Amino acid sequence: MSPADRSAMLRVLLVTDTDKPIGDLRQALARRGYDMLDEVATPAMLPAAVEKQRPDIVIIDTESPSRDTLEQLAVMNATAPRPVLMFSHDADLDLIRAAVGAGVSAYLVEGLSAERLTPILEVALARFSQDERLRRRLAEVEHELADRKSIDRAKRMLMDRNQLSEQAAYAMLRKRAMDQGIRIADAARRLLAAHDPH
Amino acid sequence: MIPTPAHPPAAAPERRRLRLGFVALSDAAPLVAAHRLRLGERHGLELVLCRQPSWAAVRDKLLSGELDAAHALYGLVCGMQLGIGGPRADMAVLMVLNRNGQAITFSHRLADAFRQAGDLKAALATLGRPAVFGQTFPTGTHAMWLYHWLADHGVHPLRDARSVVIPPPEMVAALARGELDGFCAGEPWHAVAEARQAGRTVALTSEVWPDHPEKALACRREFAALYPDTARALIRTLLDACRWLDQPANRVRAAGWLAEPDAIGVPAAQIAPRLLGDYGGHRFEKAPLPIRFHDGGAVNRPRAGDGVWFLSQYRRWGLLHGPSDDRAIAASVAQTALYDEAAGEAPASGAGGAG
Repeated sequence: MSPADRSAMLRVLLVTDTDKPIGDLRQALARRGYDMLDEVATPAMLPAAVEKQRPDIVIIDTESPSRDTLEQLAVMNATAPRPVLMFSHDADLDLIRAAVGAGVSAYLVEGLSAERLTPILEVALARFSQDERLRRRLAEVEHELADRKSIDRAKRMLMDRNQLSEQAAYAMLRKRAMDQGIRIADAARRLLAAHDPH
Repeated sequence: MIPTPAHPPAAAPERRRLRLGFVALSDAAPLVAAHRLRLGERHGLELVLCRQPSWAAVRDKLLSGELDAAHALYGLVCGMQLGIGGPRADMAVLMVLNRNGQAITFSHRLADAFRQAGDLKAALATLGRPAVFGQTFPTGTHAMWLYHWLADHGVHPLRDARSVVIPPPEMVAALARGELDGFCAGEPWHAVAEARQAGRTVALTSEVWPDHPEKALACRREFAALYPDTARALIRTLLDACRWLDQPANRVRAAGWLAEPDAIGVPAAQIAPRLLGDYGGHRFEKAPLPIRFHDGGAVNRPRAGDGVWFLSQYRRWGLLHGPSDDRAIAASVAQTALYDEAAGEAPASGAGGAG
């Protein structure tokens, strides 16, 4: 089975029990070849829906009252799907980092466009998958997150040490990278290693 | 040199404004009272209350720092510490907010069968299918009270019945629709179930463990370590609130606040009686112990033994495997020393004690 066939068969359950508008997400994901199961609108409907329809992934709002119901399904049954969480627009980026950094299978998405959700659905599936291609993709995403973290830390260090604005700290970091002919993330790591005995 | 007083005055908290999470339950009363009475002011704190739609949201927001501390199921804190079903994180129980006050409600059909048969197994057999019971979180207190109570009545909670997690505000509707045969959760949802004639309260959780710990004031351990003066000020603030709630007249006032739409949003008449220990002529198998908030501090002091019990139950029901030093884990969560420092610094009387 080719990877395209796999994603074409991905069964997606949408939980729609909050006021947050989901727009045409359902139709957009269906157009992209996902098998969109009947929506679940109350927590009490969720266990039966998961049991009978066996979704691969559940898309749910971070503020959904059904989240604890899903937790129970994941804890009590190893084959239960792990949630993909929707993300409110005002939400804290740290929340994404905490969840992804801790290696949990919950992915938090800002906004709900199908374009942005599709790669995250694939990554979430890769957590469970033996599919090499998807696993590589997962590693890439995690690498990007690690890069961003190093750059943030280096930036913060420059800001603190030199009383710089965030913009000026980033410019300084970028100049170092260009001077040394390396990536900004690597320049950030070198800087951190030079100043941080740990 | 300035002489050191016997009880040094509390240091100013490092953080003034704190975001506290809570879930729509009667035992959120200490937070709601502290907020309404501005009890934080004399300890240098401004409390911002943030109602949460689920315990999973409480957990995530404690981890991300979006909440500084929260009204949390004691078992939620233990589950986070162990990383069961989610990210593992070093957690702190600053104090116990209440003991007792939870219940088990059955549908009328099952409650009648239970009363007639006098035996739970026989009562469940009358359903002709596996019973479905609701509780509130996989590692939470209600799951553990329900499982223990069912097992005490000869019913294996995971083999002889089905257990589903439903948010407390949805329990009554699910019971009324026949999707549940019973549930274990906090109040006022049992009183609401009776008011809407969806079911009857058949047991109080004090039957499982008299004076059991229920909700904790929880934060990340890092928060308590980074901001010890803030943590102590927060403990003192909530202690004042718990002490205030020991007066029956104050519980009636608190019920009025809890009834408001931004707290629980059900009539005060369905909150106040059980907050006062009035179960309306129900007879239970064991003498009911009503909810307790303070009782001279007996309620609030966090103890390692409380956490050890939850870990032992996780092993019993297959949520925790392998060897671990349960005592050490529970002791690292329960901030007994920090609590003792804070409680020792608390004035013997004041806004809280005067009521």
